[in-house]
Amino acid sequence: MSTTIRSTRARRVTTTMAVLGVATLGLTACGPAVGASSPGASAAATDWAAIEPAESISFWTNHPGGSQAIEQELVDGFTEETGIEVEIVTAGANYEEVSQRFQTAQTSGDVGDLVVMSDATWFTNHVNGSLLAVDDVFAAAGGDTATYNATLFDDYLYEDAHYAVPYARSTTIYYYNEDHYAQAGLTEAPTTWDEVRANSQALIDAGVTETAFSFPPAEDYPAWMMNNLVWSYGGGWSDEWDASAVTSEGTVQAVQFAQDAVQDGWANVSSGSPADDFAAGATSQFIGSTGSLGGVTETAAFEVGVAFLPGGPVEQELVVPTGGAGIAISSASTPEEQLAAAMLADHLTSAENTVAFSSETGYMPVRSDADASALYAENPNFEVAVNQLETRTRTQDYMRVFLPGGDLALATALQRILTTDADVEEALAALQTELEGLYENDLRPQLEG
Amino acid sequence: MPTTNPHRRRQRRRDALVFVAFAGPNLLLIAAFIYFPLLSNVYYSTLNWRMGATTATSAGLDNYVRLFTSPQGVEMWRVTITFTVVTVVASMVLGLLVALALNHRIPGVTAGRTAIFSPYVLSGVGVGMVWNFIFDPQLGLLGHVLRAFGARSPEWYLDSDLALVMVMIVYIWKNLGFCAVVFLAGLQSIPSDLIEAARIDRAGAVRRFFKLTLPLLSPTVFFLTVTTILSSMQAFDILKIMTPSGNGTNTIVFELFLQGFGPYQNAGYAAAISVVLFVVLFAITAFQLRFVEKRVHYA
Repeated sequence: MSTTIRSTRARRVTTTMAVLGVATLGLTACGPAVGASSPGASAAATDWAAIEPAESISFWTNHPGGSQAIEQELVDGFTEETGIEVEIVTAGANYEEVSQRFQTAQTSGDVGDLVVMSDATWFTNHVNGSLLAVDDVFAAAGGDTATYNATLFDDYLYEDAHYAVPYARSTTIYYYNEDHYAQAGLTEAPTTWDEVRANSQALIDAGVTETAFSFPPAEDYPAWMMNNLVWSYGGGWSDEWDASAVTSEGTVQAVQFAQDAVQDGWANVSSGSPADDFAAGATSQFIGSTGSLGGVTETAAFEVGVAFLPGGPVEQELVVPTGGAGIAISSASTPEEQLAAAMLADHLTSAENTVAFSSETGYMPVRSDADASALYAENPNFEVAVNQLETRTRTQDYMRVFLPGGDLALATALQRILTTDADVEEALAALQTELEGLYENDLRPQLEG
Repeated sequence: MPTTNPHRRRQRRRDALVFVAFAGPNLLLIAAFIYFPLLSNVYYSTLNWRMGATTATSAGLDNYVRLFTSPQGVEMWRVTITFTVVTVVASMVLGLLVALALNHRIPGVTAGRTAIFSPYVLSGVGVGMVWNFIFDPQLGLLGHVLRAFGARSPEWYLDSDLALVMVMIVYIWKNLGFCAVVFLAGLQSIPSDLIEAARIDRAGAVRRFFKLTLPLLSPTVFFLTVTTILSSMQAFDILKIMTPSGNGTNTIVFELFLQGFGPYQNAGYAAAISVVLFVVLFAITAFQLRFVEKRVHYA
């Protein structure tokens, strides 16, 4: 009897172990490969000369700047020209949603061939091994990357390869209410942050406005909008992966300047969007995306003035961060689809089509050989934006655009500093610790893996 | 050696086959779509893994340690506990008061019940968007009303403490109707002769409520305690719509979203959060069933 019980127990234990073993194998088989290097990094180079473009591909987009119609028009032109069918997929309401869908779709393999990626989302997808370096495939597709605006194209450069091409690109620019300026006797837009303060005080003293300048809230990319201020003081959000720049003297002084501005009453932090407040006449000046130029000009019941972003005590010239989105090619697509996607990317961003896209959306033409004179005639402020792009821009700091959660950490800290009497140095020191923690925990193992 | 009747053995085998035939497909589906993802999630919680990445590194229990020791983790627990306690208590107390008010035969009571219950069936996304139009300090209804009285609107969206208060108000407003209707059903199931007898014995209204009504409502209170805690701890839609990046409103489920699918893209840490959420909800429910139910008076 005891033998039977023992054998029954043994059978149960064996069965349990077998089930657990199968379950464990199943779990590890379905999950990511632990400790392996990224497949994107180890993939063999494709012989593009032997590849024919696919007959149909998909284009995942959020239609930035309300571009649904113009995207369809450009894609129709591409199909007519090449015979390649393109399925346009609305993959999200904003850049983050497109990226989230692209990431979660990696497990199913049903991903877009050409995908809109913002300045803050492409890098993590590259680290995941989900993006194809575009340099070779573009050359194979007969595309020309040399005529892209160099700063915009190099925003997608990491370790000697580009992982996207510029598409719906913007910079920040200085907006001011020309009517308010005239009423306050101001004739010139500010060129330095000291002049911003002086003009703002003049606007308030003249009784023209209660809020002369608006900083954005955490939801409206304050780290991007305030990059100009920080750079102009010689600071930054990081020096590549070194977050100590966030507690540098320049950054502390710049953020202190912003906090003082709010506490002195000539600036506020918008509870919604500074662009909306400005267009409604509730604030006289703000720094916003050039992508808002069309919408603000259309909505505002006053003359909208734009100017180059102000400089500061340390840096006067290179104080303009780029932004917006590019288009990237999925590494999960077949080489045939990748080649066709490169052809589509080149078509969407050709000198002629980038102007058409800009005309409909307000984003910047991304080719240096684009003839934007028609745009300038339509909206003279656009010329200011393009001139600024050509002379004042620099690529953004790694910790804001490359570090997952980095922009949110910066935004949350900036909002807290600007809306309370928090000690700036202490708050930025805590921010540095948070950024370093995010980098050490979440990104460095992957970069070094 | 024990001997077994061959007939009984055949019968048992036949029963087992019938069981497998009927229950097998369902068990297979449950295993594939419930238990397998559940176990997978436990496995993912031990990885340092970014959503979408085909590779990951082993993290051991680091994600769990971080959840309980990092400043962000501690803040998440503070917000979750505050949100859950306030919304559960407020929804139940206010729901009971509303139910007591509606438990009278007065004109318009049916319309009142419908009005009170209707927010509960509305989409949380729609509710959040509508309340955004109310709370917006510049353009919102509340701001206009306050300005009419010479006051300024609080900065609901910029101040993280006020942001939490704001989402709690909206959440309570939305869920109050459910508590009220369930309490109303509980009140109407109390035998009227008991109340009548207490009244004849000259028990006052307050005494009748605390000594008779409330004890007889204890099954309802128990049911609502379980369901509102579970639903409050899983609140997400209103929080996401009103505070998209979680300014002081990072409850456990919202933090799970931000970490796994939002800006952090840290799927391993998000998996650890979801495992802990499962354990916490399981423990709360088991505790309530084991200990609290014993004190419930079923009529």
